[in-house]
Amino acid sequence: MTKVPMTEAKVWPTSNADACIRCATCMAICPVSRVTPLFPGPKQAGPGAERFRRPGDPSVDSWIDLCIGCHLCDMVCASGVNISELNLLAKAKYLDEKGRPLRDWLLTHTYLYGWLGSLFSPVVNWLLKNSAIKWMVEVILKIDRRRQLPGYQSPTFRQWFRSHHSKGDRRIAYFYGCYVNTNEVEVGKATVEVLEANGFEVTLPAQECCGIPMLGNGDFKGARKMGLQNVPNLLKTIRSGSEIIFSSTSCGHMIRHEYNRLLGIPGSEEVAEHIFDLFEFLRNLKESGSLNTHFKELPLKAAYFAPCHLRSLNIGLPALEILRLIPGLQLENIDADCCGLGGTFGFKKEKYEISQEIGKDLKQAIDRSKPEIVLTDCEGCRLQIRHLTGLKVLHPVQVLRDALLQRTDEEMG
Amino acid sequence: MHFDLIVIGMGLSGLMAAKTASESGSKVLILGKGMGALCLFSNTIDLLETLPKGMKLDEGLSQWIKDHPQHPYSKVGAKIVEEALTSFTSLFPLPYSFVSAGDGNSLLPTGAGTLRPTYLIPTTMVAGASVREQGGLIVGFKGFKDFYPDYAATLLGCRSLTLPPFRTFHEEITAAGLARSMEKESFREEIGREIRREMGNETRVGFPAVLGVRDPWGVKKGLEETIGAEVFEIPILPPSIPGMRIFNRFKEWLVQRGVTVLLGHSVSKAILRGRRCEGIRVSNPPLSSFYSADRYILSTGRFVGGGLVANEEKIYEPIFDLPVSQPRSREEWFRKSFFSNLSHPVHQAGILTDSSLRPVDDKGERVLENVWIAGSILAGHDSTNEKSREGVEIATGYMAAKCAMKK
Ligand code: SF4
Ligand code: SF4
Repeated sequence: MTKVPMTEAKVWPTSNADACIRCATCMAICPVSRVTPLFPGPKQAGPGAERFRRPGDPSVDSWIDLCIGCHLCDMVCASGVNISELNLLAKAKYLDEKGRPLRDWLLTHTYLYGWLGSLFSPVVNWLLKNSAIKWMVEVILKIDRRRQLPGYQSPTFRQWFRSHHSKGDRRIAYFYGCYVNTNEVEVGKATVEVLEANGFEVTLPAQECCGIPMLGNGDFKGARKMGLQNVPNLLKTIRSGSEIIFSSTSCGHMIRHEYNRLLGIPGSEEVAEHIFDLFEFLRNLKESGSLNTHFKELPLKAAYFAPCHLRSLNIGLPALEILRLIPGLQLENIDADCCGLGGTFGFKKEKYEISQEIGKDLKQAIDRSKPEIVLTDCEGCRLQIRHLTGLKVLHPVQVLRDALLQRTDEEMG
Repeated sequence: MHFDLIVIGMGLSGLMAAKTASESGSKVLILGKGMGALCLFSNTIDLLETLPKGMKLDEGLSQWIKDHPQHPYSKVGAKIVEEALTSFTSLFPLPYSFVSAGDGNSLLPTGAGTLRPTYLIPTTMVAGASVREQGGLIVGFKGFKDFYPDYAATLLGCRSLTLPPFRTFHEEITAAGLARSMEKESFREEIGREIRREMGNETRVGFPAVLGVRDPWGVKKGLEETIGAEVFEIPILPPSIPGMRIFNRFKEWLVQRGVTVLLGHSVSKAILRGRRCEGIRVSNPPLSSFYSADRYILSTGRFVGGGLVANEEKIYEPIFDLPVSQPRSREEWFRKSFFSNLSHPVHQAGILTDSSLRPVDDKGERVLENVWIAGSILAGHDSTNEKSREGVEIATGYMAAKCAMKK
C-alpha cells in the first residue's frame, strides 16, 4: 500500500460540503466572524471555499487560520455539514505550505518541557511573570505579552499520586492530561478524592499529551503520533476491566471522537466506548442510585460555563446536574457561546485581540450574574475567564470535593 | 439514561413541547440536529392569513376549523390554540414581548418592501405596522447584503439612508455581526449621530431586525435617545435574529428548569417493539448513545431540517419510518402552474395523526402507542401559503405534550 500524506483529503473524513443549503444559520453562531471581518465565517470558509479547493493547488485562504475550532457551527447546522473539519483540513494544508513558526511548536509541545517547568517552578514562574521576559517572548515568539502564561507546580500530579494510596472496592482509571499534571494539580487531587469518596480505587494509566494542541494547529502528524502512543496504553487498561474517566473536556473530546473520526487511530473505537467525562460518570452513578450524596451545605454563589468541547461531547450538562444536588450552592448556567481562548489561539499575538473580543461577551454574561466563583470543565476556559474577569475559577469537581469531604472532616473532628 | 419524555427536534414545536411537559413536572430530554427553521424564518408569530384586522381569534379560528377538518388546528381546537399562545408569550415578559395589535392580524413591512399579515409581533416591531400611513426613514448598512433600504423604502413610500461602513467592520458584515455591534453603546452613538444629521421631518426610523440578540429593547431605547425619534425593526431574509432570540430564551428556560438539552447530533434510529418505541440511538461517531423514555414526541420539521426526506420515488420519515401522506407519484407533487396561488400537493405532505396527535396510517389505524407528532411535519397544512407556521408549531407542540403527559 502506498503511503498518503496526512493532510490529503482522502485520508480524512470525506467532505459533505454539498449538503450545505446555504441557510446561514452557522453564520449567526460563529464567534470569530461575529467579531472580526477578517474571517468570512463558517458558511464561506467551510462548504463555500471547499468547492474551490484542489488537493494539488496552493491554498488561497490565508484567513483559514482564524477559525478557532469551537465546533459551534457543526452543532447548529441542520444539514449536518462537517464545517469545522473542512476548516481544520484546509488549515493544515495552508500551514503545511506556509510553515509553522517555532512559537507554534512551543505552544503545542508543552508536554515535552512541562516537567522542567515543574522541577524549576519557582524560577520559571518568576520568569513567566517578569515583564522584560514577557516583552522578549512577545517580540521573539509573537506570544502576546498581555497574556499571563500559566505557572508550573511542583510536585506534579503524577508525583503526588505516587505517594498517595488509593483504596476502593472497584477500580477506575484516570486520564488527567498535561495541564492537571504540571499546572493544576488541585483538579487532579479533587478528582481522585471524589472518586474515592464514591468507593473507587483510582489508577493512572501510562499516558502522553492527548495531542489536541497540535490538532488545533493543523498538525495532524504530531497529533496522530500522540494518539498512537495513548491508545494502546488505554486499551490495556480497558481490557484489564477498568473504565476510564477524564476531567478535561478537551482531552476527552480528542480521545473519544477525534482519534477516530479525524485521525483514524486503530483501537480508538473501543477506547471511545469506555472513556467517560468525570461528571458523566458520576451522573451514571446517580442514575443507578450509587452516587455518594452526603453533601454538606455549601453557601456559595457560582456561575457555570459549559466549554465548547463539552457541548460537542453531546452529553448535556452533567456537572450542572450533579452540582445542583449540593445544598446551599447557588448555581447559574452562563449562556454564552465561546470563551475565545481556543486552546493556544489566544496566546498568539496576531490573534489576541480577536480572542479578547470574543471573550467580552462571556465576561459580560458573567458580570450580569455576579458570582463569587466561576466553574468550568476546561482548563483553557478557566485560564481565559480568570484573565477576563479576575475572578476565582475552578473545575466543578473542586466544589464537589469541598461539599463531600469537609463533611467527613467535621465528622472526624 | 431514562426520561419521562424525549422530544426529537428543536424547532419551535419541539421547544414548546419540552416546556409544556417540563411544567407538568416531567423529566424531559430534548434533542436537535441543528438550530432549525426557527432561526431562519421566524420573526413574528404567524397564525393564519385569513384573520383580518378586527376579527376575534376564536371567531377566525372556528371558521377555519369548520372549513378544514384535517388541518392541525382542527385537531387542537381553538381553545387550546389560545392557551398555547398564552403559554408561549409568558416566556417573554415586557419590555421585549409578543403582542397583537388588537384583534386580528397586523400588516408589517418586510425587507422586500411588502406588507405582510401576521398575528403576534415583538414589541420592537410594533411601530412598523403603520409605516405606510405615517412614513419613516429606513436605514441600512453598506456591506450588509441581507437588506437593501432603498428598495424597501421605495415600495413603502419612505425615505432611505444607507450608512457608510464603520470602524468595527470592513466591506462586509453579517446579521450576527451587526447585532453584536448594536449591543455596544459606542456603535449606537456613532450611527445615531449620523442618522440624526440625515433626518428630515420623519418621526420614526426603521432598521433591519438586527437590534441585538440579548436585549433588543435596550438597543431600541438607546438608539431612540441618540436619534430623537421612535425606532422599529423590520423582518429580513434568513438567518433571523429575532428567531435566535426565541431559541435562546427557550434554551435558557429549559436548562434552568433542569431539562436536558442536546444540540448538534441527529437521532439515527428509533428502536421499536410492536407498537411501542423503546428508545432512540443518537450518533456522534464513533459512538452511538442510547436514550429511553416512556413517551416520545417527534417534531423534526419538514424537508429543511430532514424530518421528511424525498428520494426518487417517494417521501419518507427517516426515524420511525412512519407512513407519510403524499401525492401518489412525483408528477403530482406540484400543480401545473408552478406559481399557482393554490397550495402544491407536496406542501400538504406529512404525518397523519388521530385527534390526540398520535400517528395513524391511511386507514386511520394508530401505528405507534407512545409517540406523538408536533409541528410542521404534520400533514394537512401548508404553513407558507396559509401563513400559519409559528401558530401551528406552538399549538401542536403544546397539545402533543399535553396529550403525551396525560396520565
Ligand atoms: S453549513 Fe449548514 S448551517 Fe451553514 S449555511 Fe450551510 S447548511 Fe446552513
Ligand atoms: S469552528 Fe467555530 S470559529 Fe471555526 S468556523 Fe466554526 S463556529 Fe467559526
